[in-house]
Amino acid sequence: MQITGRKVAVVGMGGAFPNCSDLADFSEKLFSNQSLIRTWDKATEHGGKVRSSVSGFITDGEMGLEPVYSTLVSNNFPETYIDKYDRIPAGNLATADVGSIWAMLGAQDAIKMAGWMTSETQSEKTGVVIGSGTGGNLILRTAWHSFFELGKKTRLSGSHTVDRTMTYREAANVSCLIKNQGVCEAIGSACATGLGNIGYAYRLIKFGVQDRVIAGGVEGTSLETFIGFDGMQVLSRGFAPEESSRPFDVNRNGFVCSFGGGIVALEEYELAKARGANIIGVIDEYFNNSDGDGDMFYPSFEGQKRMWKGLLSNDGIKPDVVKVHGTSTPVGDSIELLSVVDVLGEEGYHISAPKSQFGHMLGAAGSVEFITALLMLKEQKVLPCLNSTTLNPEPEAFQKSEKWAGPVKPLAAYRNLIPQQSFAKQINRIACLNYGFGGTNSAISISKDQ
Amino acid sequence: MERQEIIDGLVEILKTVRTINPEKLVGVTEETDFITDLNAPSTEMINIIAKTEQKFGVEFEDDDIDDLGSKVKNVVDLILKAKQKA
Repeated sequence: MQITGRKVAVVGMGGAFPNCSDLADFSEKLFSNQSLIRTWDKATEHGGKVRSSVSGFITDGEMGLEPVYSTLVSNNFPETYIDKYDRIPAGNLATADVGSIWAMLGAQDAIKMAGWMTSETQSEKTGVVIGSGTGGNLILRTAWHSFFELGKKTRLSGSHTVDRTMTYREAANVSCLIKNQGVCEAIGSACATGLGNIGYAYRLIKFGVQDRVIAGGVEGTSLETFIGFDGMQVLSRGFAPEESSRPFDVNRNGFVCSFGGGIVALEEYELAKARGANIIGVIDEYFNNSDGDGDMFYPSFEGQKRMWKGLLSNDGIKPDVVKVHGTSTPVGDSIELLSVVDVLGEEGYHISAPKSQFGHMLGAAGSVEFITALLMLKEQKVLPCLNSTTLNPEPEAFQKSEKWAGPVKPLAAYRNLIPQQSFAKQINRIACLNYGFGGTNSAISISKDQ
Repeated sequence: MERQEIIDGLVEILKTVRTINPEKLVGVTEETDFITDLNAPSTEMINIIAKTEQKFGVEFEDDDIDDLGSKVKNVVDLILKAKQKA
């Protein structure tokens, strides 16, 4: 049960961002309309076997990490990592894959920004809720290859295969690092994972279970993950890297598979206020649901409309900006835009698609994009839908169907909602949307502290 | 193979284990205990054993690993036993 009057503030953030040195660099590049997507050598070195060649990837060196390669199983298997800046103790690095290390670094930054004392971080009322998409990783691949293909004993894969690959490894590693005594869990909902974890964390505080939660999503750089989507033929190809992610553009042909991490520090509003914390934003509402149509992949206009109804059921105040999922896939973008227009109307707000700048971070998408929304609140600027150069002047095929009950105008009719460059405007409220395979829909509304 | 030669080889392996403080590896003897003296995490012991098998070209029996003590001399004995078998 929600506790009336209990609110949740965002008081800290951190993470791992492609081609960026830190959060400030990330913000500067986003608001100057830059793309963080590059040609990925790890994909191109496999030649024609891999269809797409671009990604918003992050290298170990860019995160200040140096892999220590195993002598036991493979020449390129990182047994553990050295943190060149001594931020994470060796004992914690030993149990972590790269994504978990990014989560720990993001948690450190978020806690530092929040200004929590050790007694607050290590409290029974402090939780950790972080997840990932877990599309695959080098550690499991190497362990399985060593056993099944090379016929080696299990112990040659080392004793950290489980802790470095288990579903809630990011949460577990962060919890062991910061030593909180409250909840430690992971929510998994495919590409809605990042937002799902933040939403769950919001509920833990809103319902009085926790006072503080470190929450978010992570997707460690992984060719194993990339090739899964590449094989589905759903990744962008044929464009220059910076033009590859183009939500809503008529020539979009798939998403850019990217990697990153977004971690936020949430705190019960009155506690944060009482200690004079800098409140970055206040969460108005979180709502999630399922399409209920039995389709694993195809987005649902009706499901998204029900999601909006739930999101606005609290106070009904419409957002100034809608931070969309906007993946750059042909059907996903058009269904999403039309459901937004159907609910919010044809004017009075703008649409921001951060994936146009850094691609689709999968399990991290929702949390990194939540951070972009916090940055929009802070800067009072709307982030663009980069490369949305041409909107379809013709209705989509599904709009011509007799069953279609949504807007019938073509996407080009909504050009006014979709900025191609960042611009300043008064922003009091932002809605953040993310969806995932399985027909899951997540939405959160955040506002400036009034 | 001399016992001291094996101890020296073990120290080289232990130097690659990042969770062990390198300062503790000065003056390792047969009586040094991996857990209590070197503070090696118990989860690292199997990695040390696997690297030991690789370095010394031996393969230990699972039962012997299960019964293995935590002192350096226990590993030295096990290596010599495995070498004899081979």
